[in-house]
Amino acid sequence: MGESELTMPGGHAATAEASPYGITSKKLVMWLFIIADSATFGALLFGYGYLRLGSPDWPRPFAFSPSILNGMVMTVVLLSSSMTMLGAVAAAQKGDRPASTRWLGATIVLGLTFAGLHLNEWSKMITEGWSLSTDPLGKSVEFGAAFFSITGLHLLHVISGAVAIAVVAIMFRRGRLTAGHIETTGLYWHFVDLVWMFVFPLMYLMNAH
Amino acid sequence: MTIIESSNEPGATLYVVVFVGLLVIVGLEVFLTYRGLPAGTLLASLLALAVIEAALGVMYFMHLKYEHRALFWSLIPAIVFVLLMMNYLWPDAMRLNSLRLPTP
Repeated sequence: MGESELTMPGGHAATAEASPYGITSKKLVMWLFIIADSATFGALLFGYGYLRLGSPDWPRPFAFSPSILNGMVMTVVLLSSSMTMLGAVAAAQKGDRPASTRWLGATIVLGLTFAGLHLNEWSKMITEGWSLSTDPLGKSVEFGAAFFSITGLHLLHVISGAVAIAVVAIMFRRGRLTAGHIETTGLYWHFVDLVWMFVFPLMYLMNAH
Repeated sequence: MTIIESSNEPGATLYVVVFVGLLVIVGLEVFLTYRGLPAGTLLASLLALAVIEAALGVMYFMHLKYEHRALFWSLIPAIVFVLLMMNYLWPDAMRLNSLRLPTP
C-alpha cells in the first residue's frame, strides 16, 4: 500500500495526539461505521432466524434455476467488483488517476449490474404474489418481511455505494481527493461484498428446494 | 504528526488467489445445499463457510492483516461479542413455536 502522509502545521504539532492505530481519521471512522453496520445486519439476520425458528411452516421458494443460479451470478458479479475496487486503490496509490477512475467506473458498472439482477428477481417475486406480508405458497408470511427487509437493506447499501463511488471518482479525477479517500471508499465496498457472503447462504440457500 | 498508512500490501497474485478461493467456497455452499443435509447441519456448514469468506475478505481485501494489530483487537472482538450476545433470543423463538395457535 502506498504512503499518504498528513502533516499538521508546526505550531500545533506539539499538541496533536498521534493516532493510536497509525491510520488516518477517515479510515478509522469508516472501520467504526463498518463495525456498527455489521451489528445492524447481524441483528437483522438474527431476527430472521428468530422468525424462522418460531414458524413451523417456513416456505422454501427458491428453485436452483433460476433463483439460486441468479444468486450465484450476483455473487460472482459482486466479488468481481471487489477486485476492480482493489485495482482502483492500487492505481490511486501509484498516482495514476485515469487508471484509478477507470477501475472505479468498472466497479460502478458491476455494482449496478448486481442491483439490476436483484431488482429483476424482486420484480418476478412480487409478480408471483410475494410481499412484506403475503406468501403465495400459503405458508409463513414472515418470509417476505425478512427477505425483502434484509436484501432491501443490502441493496440500498449497493446502490448508495455506487453513487458514492461515482462522486469520489469524479472528485478524485479532478484532484480534489487523495488515494486515501479511494482506499476508504474501498473499505465500504468490500464490506458490502462481505455482507452478501452471509445474506446469500442464509436468505437464499437455506430457503432453496 | 505523520500518519503513514499501512505498508506491505499484498500483491495482485494474492488478491486473485483469495478471489478464486471465495468463488470456490460459494460453489461449495451451493453443493452442500443440494446434498440433502439436515437443516441444522446445513446451517452450521454455511455459517462456517461464510465466516471463512468474511475473514478472507476482511484480512486481505480490506487489509486488516496489514494494519496495526491494535486495530484488529479493538474491532473484531467487539463485533464478535455483540453477535454472540444476540444468541439469547433462541429459547424464546422455540417457545414462540409451541405457543402458536393452530391454523384455522
